[in-house]
Amino acid sequence: MKIENFINENRPHESAIKHVSGQAHYTDDIPEPPGTLYGAIGWSKKSHAIIKKINLDEVIKSEGVIAVVTEDDIVGRNDVGPVFDGDPIFPKKAEYYGQPLYAVAATTTELARKAVLKAKISYKTLKPITTIQEALKKKSFVLKEKIIKKGEALKAIENSPYRLKGNFTTGSQEHFALEGQAAFVIPQEDNDFKVFSKTQHPSETQQIIAKMLNQKSNTITVETRRIGGSFGGTETQSFIFAAICTLLAKKTKRAVKLRIDRDDDIIITGKRHDFYSEYEVGFDELGVIKGLKLKLASRCGISPDLSGAINDRALLHIDNAYYLENVLLENYLCKTNTASNTAFRGFGGNQGMMAIENIIDHIATSLKKDSAEIRRRNFYQKKKKNITHYNMKIEDNIIQEIFDQLIKSSNYKSRMQNIKKFNSENKYIKKGIAMTPVKFGISFTTWHLNQAGALVHIYFNDGSVHVNTGAIEMGQGTYTKIAQLAANALGLPFNKIKVSATRTDKVPNTSASAASSTTDLNGAATLNAISKIKKNLSEYVKRKYKIKNSEGIYENGMVKFKGKIFKFNKLIKEAYLNRVSLSSSGFYATPKIHFDKKNFKGRPFLYFCYSAAVSEVIIDILTGENKILRADILHDAGRAINPAIEMGQIEGGFVQGAGWLGCEEVNWKTNGQITTHSPSTYKIPAVSDMPEKFNAEIFKKGKNIENVINKSKTTGEPPLMNAMSVFFAIKNAIASIRDYNINPKLDAPATPERILMSIKNLKKKYEK
Amino acid sequence: MASSNIEFVYQNKIFEITNPDSNETLLNFIRTKLKKTGTKEGCAEGGCGACTVVLGELKKNEINYKAINSCITFLPTLQGKQLILVEDLILKNGSLHPVQQAMVNYHGSQCGFCTPGFIMSLFSMFKKNSKFKNDEIKDSIAGNLCRCTGYQPIIKAAKSLKNKSKIDEFSKSKKNTINLLKKINNKSVVIYHKGKKYFAPRYLMELKKILKKNADVDFLSGGTDLSLVVTKERKDINSIVYMNSIRDLNYIKNNNKYIEVGASTPLIEFESYIKKYYPDFTKILKRYGSPQIRNVATIAGNIATASPIGDCLPLLLSLNAEIVLQDFKKTKVLFLNDFFISYRKTKLKKGQFIHSIRIPVLKGNTFKAYKVSKRYDDDISSVCAAFNLRIIKNKVQSVRIAYGGMAAIPKRAIYCEKILSNSIVTDEIVSKAKKALEKDFKPISDMRASGLYRMEVAKNLLEKLYFEIKQKKIIGVYF
Repeated sequence: MKIENFINENRPHESAIKHVSGQAHYTDDIPEPPGTLYGAIGWSKKSHAIIKKINLDEVIKSEGVIAVVTEDDIVGRNDVGPVFDGDPIFPKKAEYYGQPLYAVAATTTELARKAVLKAKISYKTLKPITTIQEALKKKSFVLKEKIIKKGEALKAIENSPYRLKGNFTTGSQEHFALEGQAAFVIPQEDNDFKVFSKTQHPSETQQIIAKMLNQKSNTITVETRRIGGSFGGTETQSFIFAAICTLLAKKTKRAVKLRIDRDDDIIITGKRHDFYSEYEVGFDELGVIKGLKLKLASRCGISPDLSGAINDRALLHIDNAYYLENVLLENYLCKTNTASNTAFRGFGGNQGMMAIENIIDHIATSLKKDSAEIRRRNFYQKKKKNITHYNMKIEDNIIQEIFDQLIKSSNYKSRMQNIKKFNSENKYIKKGIAMTPVKFGISFTTWHLNQAGALVHIYFNDGSVHVNTGAIEMGQGTYTKIAQLAANALGLPFNKIKVSATRTDKVPNTSASAASSTTDLNGAATLNAISKIKKNLSEYVKRKYKIKNSEGIYENGMVKFKGKIFKFNKLIKEAYLNRVSLSSSGFYATPKIHFDKKNFKGRPFLYFCYSAAVSEVIIDILTGENKILRADILHDAGRAINPAIEMGQIEGGFVQGAGWLGCEEVNWKTNGQITTHSPSTYKIPAVSDMPEKFNAEIFKKGKNIENVINKSKTTGEPPLMNAMSVFFAIKNAIASIRDYNINPKLDAPATPERILMSIKNLKKKYEK
Repeated sequence: MASSNIEFVYQNKIFEITNPDSNETLLNFIRTKLKKTGTKEGCAEGGCGACTVVLGELKKNEINYKAINSCITFLPTLQGKQLILVEDLILKNGSLHPVQQAMVNYHGSQCGFCTPGFIMSLFSMFKKNSKFKNDEIKDSIAGNLCRCTGYQPIIKAAKSLKNKSKIDEFSKSKKNTINLLKKINNKSVVIYHKGKKYFAPRYLMELKKILKKNADVDFLSGGTDLSLVVTKERKDINSIVYMNSIRDLNYIKNNNKYIEVGASTPLIEFESYIKKYYPDFTKILKRYGSPQIRNVATIAGNIATASPIGDCLPLLLSLNAEIVLQDFKKTKVLFLNDFFISYRKTKLKKGQFIHSIRIPVLKGNTFKAYKVSKRYDDDISSVCAAFNLRIIKNKVQSVRIAYGGMAAIPKRAIYCEKILSNSIVTDEIVSKAKKALEKDFKPISDMRASGLYRMEVAKNLLEKLYFEIKQKKIIGVYF
């Protein structure tokens, strides 16, 4: 008989049928109790100003308005900053264009939104700082700068036969999850509040609301069933909306829903950090890096938010897959009068990796060598050259295997020859190709966050299983994968497992669903809870049937002990009648990791994910228009729990990354006002931006050497960085104009405009 | 008599609303009154497709299934149509529609928020007996944004529908739906709701009478601009005349001298008609906007908004189109070139409306148009250019060039035309013509592109044109 196994299996998303038929509920879809009110937020029209007076008379008089809240309504902490203060709910001084100043509750969303526009605010305008360059000049920082040293970088650069200098910028990126920010709060007895929030982080939402109200955490319950995409955009940026919604509910003593309009959402919330780097690199004739000096500065916005951890992750990924012997890193966290930049898939890692990939690309052009070959020569090795610049030994390195396999399967070398031929025959249309590796560290770099809880119940009457964890389902399929793990551990059909909405009163003290580690942590906690229930059952069986040392094998709805077989349902019922607990919490804490943030040394990651991609692009040198012709990806997902779901992350992450480095451009006026706040002005990839040919594959030999659920590896963030190959393919196409002899200056995102200007500059250089 | 009630078909029944608010969006109605939350708001400006629903419209005894953005559709425009929501596709016994099943089978949803919109776009495609070719699939979902999947699984799901039977519950109940639609199809609507007026005339004469009495009205067609007054500026529109209900204006005529397009003809119909005359016109219209937009938007609407970045406008200018204006008494024909005054200002007077557009049929001319934007699908042009030349024996006999995105209005490049006119085109002439564009235009910088880039591209498009004509081939990255 075939043993039913629910892992390593392509299963549809647990909500797929609900998604396609409109039956999946998101925050704004939750049925409302009678009398529910609707909120809207009024925000600053100045990016830096003292607020002299806010006159809300007309707002209060506006049709349908029931209540208005301001700073005066906050009895506790007026801040939603997760680690540090700096993100006031309603500030005294406006620090960015779009900063919330007050909010209203009205009888409909439309009336609330009309009302907030009627405020009369007098400002005393101050001069804003909006760019990284200005902030560096004025030493405007949100946290102290960091200097990290390994070896003797300056000496190594000086002694190198070849040296290069340059600078490079990667742009910001708006999350643009299709579901915007939303919260829904229902007052309970005892001044308690039930909060539904579109968030990746219910526990912190709970704590922040409790602090704002000066109440205990046990009076606030936060629930999130699913969210319509997030990508880091609600790891902290959702807090202010949940907080304001609660304030409105408290003041009106009625349920309040707060759904933020797309434009307001983009204007109010933070985005991906743009990074500026200056580098000086020394290398030998083979292109092997001998020493690297790098200055990394990021635009953090008005507050620290998660910028410390994001910049740390950038520093931790400045090596990508390359061994760097001598490094000198400087990191500046620039404070600007723009919305506080925040988590976004990759969390700084990708920005760090782009900085080094740009350097490698520069080295390759200067030596007139294939950049893939230069990349290869710099790879970490297995037995030697395997210590990172933060002193972690890499034990699971498979980048070489992945790279070699992909270089063959993608026909990289022959295609490169074809492209050169094509380019020599076409005056206005040029093709380019590039191959880039990914090595991405998995674990929160903040040690204590690497823990998770779970709660599992088995109901005695029908043997159905209820699972609850701290994991947030945001499209990555974590509920599906956790249910698969539970089904497998209990030998039950998938449909007997229900993963229920994530709630702070079921599993407390959870970490954000972030750092790609959601399923790793919460899946392991679920298995821990199940193992405790199984222990109860086996102890009962041992006691009752005098069976020794048998743990029980759970398969196909049966439980086998030595000499005794039960139907699962029968055993459960029997156990209940014999007063055995069928419910347990579970817990997991990531082993092995430790990191000294001050000295920047330790093992911050349990393991690394590896991947590589080859992209081929075509550009129009008259307009800068471009297209991805083909992308080949080979991605290490370990022993994947659900390959179909992992594939969705691999392909989707790539396209999102291509957006970050391509068509997505966040634009601010010099006065700090954001101008790209709707889909008509901010362009995320649409269907035609997908590669014409798209060959993504999971690395078949993949297996996590660490003790992670099912020996799998997460796929959340790392696939995004495969899109680096697109950017360097574009650069490669531009370089063809001067026969690959000159390194084109190209910053990200490579919009048609940037591409055309890069071409123009390259032509000028040549003419000189 | 005009009615103040609207009627539409929903779930095989006639649904009547008494005196609806003309500023209420269809999306709002669906979510808050029908209490159907499958249809999502993603942007409230017709830019993401999450709110896509399908409208069935009676056309020659058949039902034309159109995907539209419910977030920028005003409720009363539903009059006489069938409304289909994502929830209506699933059968009572729980079995999924083939389009839904395909999306499940191919893992087409991740977070699921954009999914209902994709389902409805694909459903409309399914109902049009599509062959599910790659290009058709991409076009049909070009107005639906997904941030999770990267689109590959959605395309695979769509492709899998190719050989599926096209019979579904909607085809089974088609006869009944047609009968219901016929019952409600014949009525004009006039609504007075809390000081807000809404008119949906069926005939030209009705329109003229309305305008005679109500000079200060806003014309509504696709609503891509006007609806945003409500959804984004959060203001009321006090007086709306819905143009797309006027049957007399939904036509395309051709007298061999010019093609006349009625003001309420949807772009999607025009784009297939114009293809054999000016293939580049069709090429640009495909990128004008998503199918959800092109299903309801009109050329007249594009002209009336007079946006410097309206993609039809440079094309029409270079073809020297005429515009037919009418009021209660008179008909006036103007060259489009004389219609635009300044930024978003036109010569349209109060009481006047755009009746139709006349596009000359030019045989033997070369007509080429280019659109350059950050994104291929559903984006606003940084620069849009149209070239209409008559070349005999290498000599330019006549030339009309117009650009969008280069000035406060869509505008001809007069200086550039002068250089090219009556010349034998050489490299040297082209570089002179490029230089002349600097006299024609002083483009601005904004979030879409810098003035510098716009000028560079405007010049380069001239070079592209020259090369394409010389080499008799098309060069570009999109194919």
